[in-house]
Amino acid sequence: MTVFLKQRFHLMFVCLSGLLLSACSQATLPPGLVYCSEGNPESFNPQLVTSGTTIDATSHQLYSRLVNYNPDLGDIVPGLATDWQISEDGLSYTFNLRQNVLFHQTQRFKPQRVFNADDVLFSFNRIIDSQHPYHSVSRTGYPFFQSISFEQLISSIEKVNDYQVIFHLNREDASFLSNLATDFAVVLSAEYAEKLLKDGLPEQIDLQPIGTGPFQLTQYIKNEYIRYIRHPNYWGAKPDIEHLVFDITPKSTARIAKLITGDCSVSALPKAGELAVIDQHQHIKVDAKPGLNVAFWALNTQKPPLNDIRVRRALAHAIDKQNILDVVYNDIAVEASGILPPASWAYSKNLTSNEFNPAKAKLLLEQAGVKNLDIDIWAMPVARIYNPNALKTAELIQGDLAKVGVKINIVSYDWSVFTQKLASDDYDSVLIGWNADNSDPDNFFTPLLSCAALASNNNRSKWCQADFDHLLTQAQKTTVREERKAFYQAAEAILSDRVPLIPIAHAQKVILKKDTITSMQVRPYGGIAFAKIVQNPQESN
Amino acid sequence: MWRYFFRRVSLFLATTLIMMAVLFYTTHLFPVDEHYALSGVQQPTAEQIEQINNDFNLESNRFSQFLAYVQQRLSGNMGVSNNSQQQVYEELKTVLPASFELSLFSGFIALIFGVPIGVIAALSKNKLVQRSILGLTLTGYSIPVFWLGLSLSLWFGVNLGWLPISGQINLLYQIEPVSGFMLIDTLLSNSTYSQQAFIDALMHLILPAITLAVLPFTLIVRITRQAMLQVMNQTYIRAAEARGLHTLKIIIRHALPNAMIPVLKSIGIMLGSFASYGIVVEVIFSWPGVGSWLVSGIYQRDYTVIQAGILSVSLLIIFLSILIEFVHTAINPMSKKELYATY
Repeated sequence: MTVFLKQRFHLMFVCLSGLLLSACSQATLPPGLVYCSEGNPESFNPQLVTSGTTIDATSHQLYSRLVNYNPDLGDIVPGLATDWQISEDGLSYTFNLRQNVLFHQTQRFKPQRVFNADDVLFSFNRIIDSQHPYHSVSRTGYPFFQSISFEQLISSIEKVNDYQVIFHLNREDASFLSNLATDFAVVLSAEYAEKLLKDGLPEQIDLQPIGTGPFQLTQYIKNEYIRYIRHPNYWGAKPDIEHLVFDITPKSTARIAKLITGDCSVSALPKAGELAVIDQHQHIKVDAKPGLNVAFWALNTQKPPLNDIRVRRALAHAIDKQNILDVVYNDIAVEASGILPPASWAYSKNLTSNEFNPAKAKLLLEQAGVKNLDIDIWAMPVARIYNPNALKTAELIQGDLAKVGVKINIVSYDWSVFTQKLASDDYDSVLIGWNADNSDPDNFFTPLLSCAALASNNNRSKWCQADFDHLLTQAQKTTVREERKAFYQAAEAILSDRVPLIPIAHAQKVILKKDTITSMQVRPYGGIAFAKIVQNPQESN
Repeated sequence: MWRYFFRRVSLFLATTLIMMAVLFYTTHLFPVDEHYALSGVQQPTAEQIEQINNDFNLESNRFSQFLAYVQQRLSGNMGVSNNSQQQVYEELKTVLPASFELSLFSGFIALIFGVPIGVIAALSKNKLVQRSILGLTLTGYSIPVFWLGLSLSLWFGVNLGWLPISGQINLLYQIEPVSGFMLIDTLLSNSTYSQQAFIDALMHLILPAITLAVLPFTLIVRITRQAMLQVMNQTYIRAAEARGLHTLKIIIRHALPNAMIPVLKSIGIMLGSFASYGIVVEVIFSWPGVGSWLVSGIYQRDYTVIQAGILSVSLLIIFLSILIEFVHTAINPMSKKELYATY
């Protein structure tokens, strides 16, 4: 009897394994690309947010800007504006607009006209005019534009004809074009807004987006996915991929697993420790590009003994930054000599930083006459793009400083408590950093180290120097890039000399992708863009 | 038999009521406002508060509050999710089928492989076969499911790259939900990629289903073996053998139906642990079912999702175990006899 049964099972086994084998042969996928993103977008309008997740999902997929930032050369290139002139006094910017640009066409909205000056006026008046019917439709406000005082900067926007607009400014601002090129300054459809207002559904403008970007939104299911389809009448170069899907996967390990097994082709924000796993897989490539960010150790310059410049210099000489790069960043970062990252156009290689030299540090401390120095160091409890592990960094600094006879106590709280206490408490020093919103170098200085920033608690060093502030104002006034660069270099030299903060590292932006993707640009700041991605149709596995 | 049926039905209702009473009590222990815990509406307006008060009888005594609570919950008003602000009932409708798909497929694997292997273990005269089957099932029974899930995904997913280990399907396939079962929906879909989508969905199902199937599989093997050993010693089997019937016929016609009765009973007992294993498996493999939905709700303090998840899972378990018990009694002549002897 058992023989008979065995035969039966044998047969069954063969059938089942046959079924499995047939399943194993790689299925052909529909044409498109899946991107493993890290979270849900808050809205589909980048004007209203600052979070990178939302920018990734919207700005470069759904919308276009008047001007764009070219990450390779670092200059401003045409977008929806084909060219522009700046008046002599630097107070008015005239933009000539691109013709025959079509908006997305969806089931809810069929555009009757092409893009024109009205759309530009609508998009920016919505932000600056508090009487505009759409101004308060979003309850979140316009955080980026508020942070750069956009309302105060623009006096009016004038429509000359359908394809020409003039922005009139109240004061000169060299970073104006850069700010228009940020991910936040997108152009919406005025016609769509009118229709929604008529239908009584104005809030839909930020949820059911209509733009002129390379992709249009087809479906969004929270916590699951966002689906896009190629915009058939996109004004720029037609994207190579037809379908774009954002697979919302909050867990970093799950994103890597999906990448390895082929459920997605590009994945965001890997943790530094996980990159070792990636190395074992030949078909996955790590794309790293220096980001516009900086991690630093801010010293409270108003509190003894750190108000003594010699003590601060001693601390700067005592830290082994290379060691921190190896341990904390897994070499996905570059050592910071100043506050400006190499990706910024104002960066200069010639900046002399305070080199690692424990002997010199000891000498400086002796000169200052401090013994048994005891410093608290506050470390962020969460990973940030500029510093994946601040606690570990603090421990390494603790070790380095023990060698020159300085005792370090590490302090940490929950993130929300941490930021609250940082605003109110009397700390010695804090490990924190800065991630730039735009390509303008001013973004690294004024918000962080100016006397104005002291009032808004963003100046973690509590450092206010008249000569330094004067340099920054001068740099804002001129539009000549070489002059501005010289000003910022001078500012860097002051920082290096007076050491209100010790720059540690500039982290790189890392994207993981399959090797079937032959061309993809990682932008040093701001959101991800899929329009120019080229995918090799041949499956690698 | 009818009497027995009604007794089971009233047992079902009583258990459900007790469970809802526990849920109702714990809802009031949540460290948030009552209105928020019950409806999930963030910062409700005055009208919304009034609506909630009306729905849940919040102004009268606890007992009528409880009655209103039961009525609301059973009629499908689970409130809105604290986090997504979408109807919990709608979310439940999308996650439940995914869980069913996974557990049915696992149960199917466990039965298809478990029963024959149990029969082999019972009938084989070869000590090696017997012992290796027993040893393997004992090992399978003792392996923690989270370890097994992680190891399988490490071997077959990360190291070998054979099978996907996360999610239900590659998202490039656009499948319209019809039945909610991904395998069926891919076949019903009229896209040109319907067949590839089916294969892809199947591939995604394999590892989680195998992980989840290990527990019921080992139990079924061991119980089938025991039951078969017992049945094969019965006189009617020997009589059948004496009449010269084919062994296969004896097993299928005479031995198996009787051996299946204890197996059925053990499946009913196993449901609770099967469900909690299912939750773990869903979390490990990011399967978009009730389990991972409930766990993420717990992490995010999503009180309405926690209530709805616990309510639906426990209701299902109570219902299914009572159903299985009823079927067990209905097809088992022995227990029928007991029934009639008692009543």
